Amino acid sequence: MTESNLATVTEVVMPWQDSRVKSNYRRRQILDKVMKVLALIAVVVVLFPLLDMLYLFAYKGLSVLSISILTETTSGGGTGSSTGGIENAIVGSCLLIGLSSLIAVPLGVFSGVYLAEFTSLHNKFAEAIRFISDVLAGVPSIVLGYVGFLAFVLYLHWGYSAMASAVTLSILMLPYIIRTTELSIRRVPDSIREGAIALGSTKSSMINRLTLRFALPGIITGVMLAVSISFSETAPLLYTADFNNYLPTALFHQPVGFLTYIVYVYSNLPYQSAHNLAYAASFVLLSFVFVVNLFARVVLKRFSKI
Amino acid sequence: MCSEVLMMTKLDLTDGGSMTSEMQNSAAGNAAAGISIRDLNVYYKGLHVLKGINIEIEPKKITVMMGPSGCGKSTLVRVLNRMNDEVEGFRHTGQVMLDGKDVYDKDVDPVLLKTRVGMVFQKPNPFPISIYENVAFGPRIHKIFRSKQQLDECVKDSLQKAALWEEVKDRLKENAMKLSGGQQQRLCIARTLAVKPEVILLDEPASALDPGSASKIEELMVELKRSFTVVLVTHNMQQAARVATKVIFLYKGDIVETGEAPGIFENPTKELTEKYIRGQLV
Repeated sequence: MTESNLATVTEVVMPWQDSRVKSNYRRRQILDKVMKVLALIAVVVVLFPLLDMLYLFAYKGLSVLSISILTETTSGGGTGSSTGGIENAIVGSCLLIGLSSLIAVPLGVFSGVYLAEFTSLHNKFAEAIRFISDVLAGVPSIVLGYVGFLAFVLYLHWGYSAMASAVTLSILMLPYIIRTTELSIRRVPDSIREGAIALGSTKSSMINRLTLRFALPGIITGVMLAVSISFSETAPLLYTADFNNYLPTALFHQPVGFLTYIVYVYSNLPYQSAHNLAYAASFVLLSFVFVVNLFARVVLKRFSKI
Repeated sequence: MCSEVLMMTKLDLTDGGSMTSEMQNSAAGNAAAGISIRDLNVYYKGLHVLKGINIEIEPKKITVMMGPSGCGKSTLVRVLNRMNDEVEGFRHTGQVMLDGKDVYDKDVDPVLLKTRVGMVFQKPNPFPISIYENVAFGPRIHKIFRSKQQLDECVKDSLQKAALWEEVKDRLKENAMKLSGGQQQRLCIARTLAVKPEVILLDEPASALDPGSASKIEELMVELKRSFTVVLVTHNMQQAARVATKVIFLYKGDIVETGEAPGIFENPTKELTEKYIRGQLV
């Protein structure tokens, strides 16, 4: 009895000895390699055009970039010989971003704080705000531009102006800032809140001293994202800023120049000098986005150490 | 067991003479207050969590709340400094008299109440800022001190009382998250002491710590008893037997038995208590 049992035991083929298991394993090994190669190809397909584009704009941009192109204002719209520089557009774009951030950052951060600290997750009102904010983030920017044109340029009689553009841009920035602020504040553990409340902290001093501080890296990332998105916007500005060959001197009733306009319009003109301006503007735009992202990363690293 | 505790206290006394004199000073400054709970009922929405509780919590004693999970002991402790106010559906009847005044009276501010009744939680929850700033947090928000010097002294004093000063005095600027679990919990106690409370609530303060750190917290509690009214929630029978003056045993929202420690552990009068102590109560 025991002998026959032993015999059957020795006859049993363990999985690692089974030829079917082995050949199946070989197939799985091949599949493994194929997957790896496919993933690599996908990365190259994505990365190559991106790097190529970066190279093109860096190369072309740097080759046309000069002190004069950065310090002269655009002239005429390119009648051939000279189109001037892009100073007015750089200053205009910075002005627009500064103004719109001034409006959108405090509003957005406070809204995010409200959603995260003063409403529960399933509060009806908060859910409505969240929904509207999501819809707003999905509205095509050209539609927003048209709304800005109707509301600020025409109805409020601001004309094509820095203010009309900045307010339109700030509407575009708000959803990003609100969302990232709320999310990063919600990530702060409740035990911290409890600890502060147990020490007799009011909600506002708890927010000021602890939760905002914690959430700061996240909030800054959201703001940076919003800034670089609106810096590269074109459509809403075409409706609200128009364009200006001169440096801005007023916030109302004066069209203002911006970088994406130069890329959009000057690249279609049949002059080399106009193309050069478009390349220079693209290069400045890319550099700006690059620097903003780099800054966000540094901030994130520095603050997440706490 | 009791004599062991006494020994430890004596050792501590000889260890830091200045510390105890400071503690006496602060005890003279704000006398530890007693709490008497009368006919307290607590409901969470439809749930009747505490059923007609009557307790006297005496000053400068350690009152221990025991009982199986869900018996309402944490709720009871959180009633004492109104940490339950924000909980959805919280409702209560009865009185919680702190020094003869109901803490739920309309003219009692729940924020200021917390400076009189401090609380330490189960899981150490230091703020991720420096050790110094953790302790200074309370005094700063209440603007207790006018000068930096006074604040410095308060931080030092609180850390000494929490038996942490020697370990952190050279790295007050370091982030509190770098401390060990036991040190973090002592920091949380120091943080609570810095606002000069009269009552200190400890909700299972040692249950998340290793045995060594836990016994340090235990020594500290005995030390705190000298100047403060201490209310302790614990699951640890030995710990309760070592530190408690009075033990309140709760079961399903009712008080089953109240007694002096360690007598209640040796001769419980109720069957439920005996079962719980033997570990047979789920």
